[in-house]
Amino acid sequence: MSTSTQPVISVKNISKVYEGPPPVKALDEVSLDIYEGDFVSIVGQSGSGKSTLLNMMGLLDSVTDGTITIDGDDISELTDDELSKFRGEKIGFIFQSFFLLPGLTAQENVAEGLLYHGIKRDIRLEKAKDALELVGLGHRLTHLPKELSGGEQQRVAIARALVEDPSFVLADEPTGNLDKESGLNILNILKELNSKGKTVVMITHNQDHAKMFEKVIELIDGKVMSGEK
Amino acid sequence: MVKNKLRLKDLFFVALYGVKARKGRAAMTSIGIGIGIAAIVAVTGISSSGRADLLATLESLGTNLIKASPQAGFFGSQEELPEGVIGMVERIGPVEEVTSTTQADLLVRRTDFISEFEGGGISTVVTSSELLDVIGGNLTEGRFITDGLSDIPVTVLGSVSAERLGITNLSQPSKILIDDEWFGVVGILNELKIHPDLDRSVFIGYGVAATLFDIDEEPTTIYLRANPNFIEDVVDVLAPSMNPENPDQVEVSRPSDALEAQQAAETAFTNLLLGLGSVALLVGGVAIANVMVMSVLERRMEIGVRRSLGATRREIRYQFLLESVILSGIGGLVGVLLGVAITLGYTNYTNIVFSIPVWQIFGAVLVALLIGAISGVYPAIKASKIQPAEAVRK
Repeated sequence: MSTSTQPVISVKNISKVYEGPPPVKALDEVSLDIYEGDFVSIVGQSGSGKSTLLNMMGLLDSVTDGTITIDGDDISELTDDELSKFRGEKIGFIFQSFFLLPGLTAQENVAEGLLYHGIKRDIRLEKAKDALELVGLGHRLTHLPKELSGGEQQRVAIARALVEDPSFVLADEPTGNLDKESGLNILNILKELNSKGKTVVMITHNQDHAKMFEKVIELIDGKVMSGEK
Repeated sequence: MVKNKLRLKDLFFVALYGVKARKGRAAMTSIGIGIGIAAIVAVTGISSSGRADLLATLESLGTNLIKASPQAGFFGSQEELPEGVIGMVERIGPVEEVTSTTQADLLVRRTDFISEFEGGGISTVVTSSELLDVIGGNLTEGRFITDGLSDIPVTVLGSVSAERLGITNLSQPSKILIDDEWFGVVGILNELKIHPDLDRSVFIGYGVAATLFDIDEEPTTIYLRANPNFIEDVVDVLAPSMNPENPDQVEVSRPSDALEAQQAAETAFTNLLLGLGSVALLVGGVAIANVMVMSVLERRMEIGVRRSLGATRREIRYQFLLESVILSGIGGLVGVLLGVAITLGYTNYTNIVFSIPVWQIFGAVLVALLIGAISGVYPAIKASKIQPAEAVRK
């Protein structure tokens, strides 16, 4: 489903070489476009370059070669500070291990998503509450991460990614640390978000999960093998 | 350049989160700084209290008191001053008041049940009524040897003597035995501070000394007050005036000098302790740097998450820098409280004036914060250089 002509993320011939010895070519001339409202999964074996690709699209790592354009901006022209702000405002990240701060409550963890936006604390907490209600955790606001199940923790992490209202969400195996039921639950939440118009790119190992996506990108040894279904 | 979006208040809470999340470690980390600051505040506090007390003492005693006595003889025998010495001294222009005492070699005992060989090291000083004014002493109880009491067998006790004789108040009439004569106690002196020899004495009048012990009025010690502006000049001419033939046989001293010298000796000790405190601070700073570096390595995930949420390198740097400053600041505050408490305890215990300059407290906290900032630089830079992709690696 492509609702606009300009891609949200446009990746052109990017390569990533990790300096050796020996040098490792993690990505080899990868090109792809992600459009607004896309629901994309990236699949591939361990070491195929999935995470590297996701990190490139998330501006967490720099490319060795090629260009990445986000919302029409060539990110190679941005300074490190500008990249940081870009990440904060346009990209929502969801990690396999949730990466919640252990000393903060669910609501505070979600509010951290707006910390670097110059928004006042009470407004941050208000928005965090809304985001948690969106993922069905309105009753868990004051719980610490250790008091939540894995599935709940990942939902907190999703709320944190969404609270800043990003242009797109990047999820790196968000179901990898969860049991089957919780994993499916997370996937359904992401699917629902997508149905409301949010662009989602997700790495998965799980073939059953991959089937739920309208677009699957398969990576083998750093190269794109297949595109749209 | 992108402007910082992390609000200053939020930066503080983010840094505080790092401290609060590891309370035990934070406490142990700031101990070094705490001990160092406590040591420095206590040492400077005690020394400044001591100085304040000395100033108060000098103020009350005056620094224009001069004491002159014969040089002790070659075999330690007590020499006398030349005849008519008081008159000679009075003729020195800037001299305002003069009085003299005569050391008497008499045995002082509480009762005759005490053996003659157990005198207790109390000496007898024959004096006139002016002594108390000239040396700036005062009484805890009773009165001094006034002119009317000079001929009567009564005595006034120095503070140490009173303690040794077991007469600490005059609620009941007390007598002591001087040689074999009973003397009624009419007064007890406060501690004289700059005249420890007089604290260990008992005082009797010239009249009674002459009739009972056949002691003449030849003085063995002169006490005088001179115009403070000419004090050095008086010191210079005193010995030649008192004994023109053998001026080197007269020992002239200013009791306040002794106090100042004592203070100077304490200053050397103070500096040593300050040095030790500084070492503790240095070690404390290194400890903070160490723990912060460790903390940065442990918190890669947090750094990665914050970078992914939009934190710039600078914002990460500030976070860890401020965290280090907070750690050290906590140590500094606790150290100041501890140091003030130690000083208070010490001044209470020794009964001296409490004095810690406010700038010293602020200075100590500032030093602690500064150490925190310096210790935090390296860990903060290290934290900001962590690549976000590395930090969020599974």
